[in-house]
Formats: sequence, structure tokens, C-alpha cells
Amino acid sequence: MTPYEIGLAALRASKEQGPPPRSRGVIALLEENCTVCMLCARECPDWCIEIDSHKETVPPRTERGRPRVLHRLDRFAIDFGLCMWCGICVEVCPFDALFWSPSFEHQTHEAQDLVHEREQLREWLGSVPPPPLLEGTSGT
Amino acid sequence: MTWFDRVQAARDEGFTFFDFLTAVDLEAEGFEVVLRLWDPLRHKEILLREQVPRDAPSLPTVTDLFKGAGWHERATAEMFGIAFVGHETQRLLLSEAFDGTPLRKDFVLAARVAKRWPGAKEPGESDADLQAPSRRRLQAPGTPKDWGPQ
Ligand code: SF4
Ligand code: SF4
Repeated sequence: MTPYEIGLAALRASKEQGPPPRSRGVIALLEENCTVCMLCARECPDWCIEIDSHKETVPPRTERGRPRVLHRLDRFAIDFGLCMWCGICVEVCPFDALFWSPSFEHQTHEAQDLVHEREQLREWLGSVPPPPLLEGTSGT
Repeated sequence: MTWFDRVQAARDEGFTFFDFLTAVDLEAEGFEVVLRLWDPLRHKEILLREQVPRDAPSLPTVTDLFKGAGWHERATAEMFGIAFVGHETQRLLLSEAFDGTPLRKDFVLAARVAKRWPGAKEPGESDADLQAPSRRRLQAPGTPKDWGPQ
């Protein structure tokens, strides 16, 4: 087979089988897990994660408790026009709020449409594969 | 063995596929030019490195061995200011008018001066809070002091 034919065969196979495991297509956000700790925005080498939040004081849950201050998310956006798919944000998130989805069909004609806001980032959750099984007996 | 001879020896050994050539800025120790070749029959790779001094860094071109190295030498020349002797490297990505070598670590990236670092915000803050005066803010790692919009 020529290199061209090898490439063509690989392309056909990938169309049939779908993307290989751990493919990096786009990043999904599970907002419920995000504590607005800012770690991902600080670690991203490309400065492409924008997070806005505000403080909210919630009343004590018990009679003798104290009011607590929560951080509420106002904006979470990833600029995939700047992103280099390094995966550092997904790795660094201590609360499992970011996931790789293998979906790569988000091309656009406008650079600003590559900025995915929180609603869009949530939609990608639908295509996040289940986590791989634990090795050995640790999963049973 | 000279750089050229090493690349030639590797090619003759079967590493006939040129993958890429680039450089690493080692700061005080100069630059390291890196070249990766691939042996398509044995499925093996080889990474060749050569250190060049910071003052007037240069290496002989390997375009006589691999024509495809031409673009990589052009990019490495304009990004790091490394000369490839025997190859009149024209600009590849930068315009003729561009001044400087953007992949050297001491080069200040203008875009990063103009853009505010998203990590400067604390949990519970939004863009508006960044206007608040006289708070000590985290600084983006690897940026000189007083960078960005103040
Ligand atoms: S994958 Fe890398 S570049 Fe992209 S948003 Fe995450 S940390 Fe930033
Ligand atoms: S690292 Fe995780 S929890 Fe922290 S702000 Fe980013 S997504 Fe939210």
C-alpha cells in the first residue's frame, strides 16, 4: 500500500469506528461541580478561560450556625480560538468540573463564535464518554 | 561530528523522513536546535540536538539533505534569530516590517501586555472588581512586573 492508501484506509476506519478513546474534541463544563476556584483560568497557558462570579451570603442552616459566603458563577467562557488543547485545565480542576468531549464538530466562519459560553459548554456534556473502568480489582 | 554530518549520518541510517526542526531558548546557555527524523520502515524516531551560543547563533543548513527543512529553518530563523548558513532564510510567518524574535524568552509579547490576565480575578470577582484600586493582585506566571492594563 502507498502512504496515501494507508492514510485513506485509516480515515475510512475512523469514520466507521468513531474517534479513538481519550480524543480531545472540545471541553465540557459541569457547572454544578465548579466552585469558582479560578485554578483553571490561572493555569491555562493561553489565557483563554474567562470566569466572572460574585459573592453571596446564605443564612445559617441551623439556629446557632453562621451565615456562609458562597461564590456564584456569572460567566464561564472558553475561547477555542486561543485554546491549544493541552488539557491542563481539565487536569488541574480539583472538583471534576471540566471534561473532554470527543466532539470536534464546532467549526465556524467567525472567530468570535469560537468563544463558547457556559450554556454551550454544558451542551458538550452530552457527548462526554463514561470514565474508563478502574484497573484490577479496585473497581469491584 | 558537525551538525550537518550528524543529520546526514542519521538519514543514511534509515531516518529518511524529516518531521520538524525548531529551537529551545536556554537563556544564558544559548539555544538548542532540535530536529526530529523518522524511520518509516523500522518505525523509530531520532531527536538530534545542537547547542548554539546566544551571541550570533548559527548552524549550517540541512536543506541539502532535506528540502522540507526549508520552512522550518525559515521559521526558526525569524522566531529565534538563529542563522542557517547556506540558506538565505526569507520571512515565513512574520511580515518584513516586524522587528524582533518572538520565541525568545526575553521578547515581550505585545498581545499579553494589551490583554488583561483572566487569572487576576479572585473567586467571587468579576471584571468590574478589577477596577478597584490598590489591591495586591496575583500576577501571571512568567510575565515581567507591571504587565498589562494597570
Ligand atoms: S486545553 Fe489548555 S489552552 Fe485549552 S482552555 Fe484548557 S488549559 Fe487553556
Ligand atoms: S478549576 Fe474547576 S472548579 Fe475551579 S474554576 Fe475551573 S472549572 Fe471551576
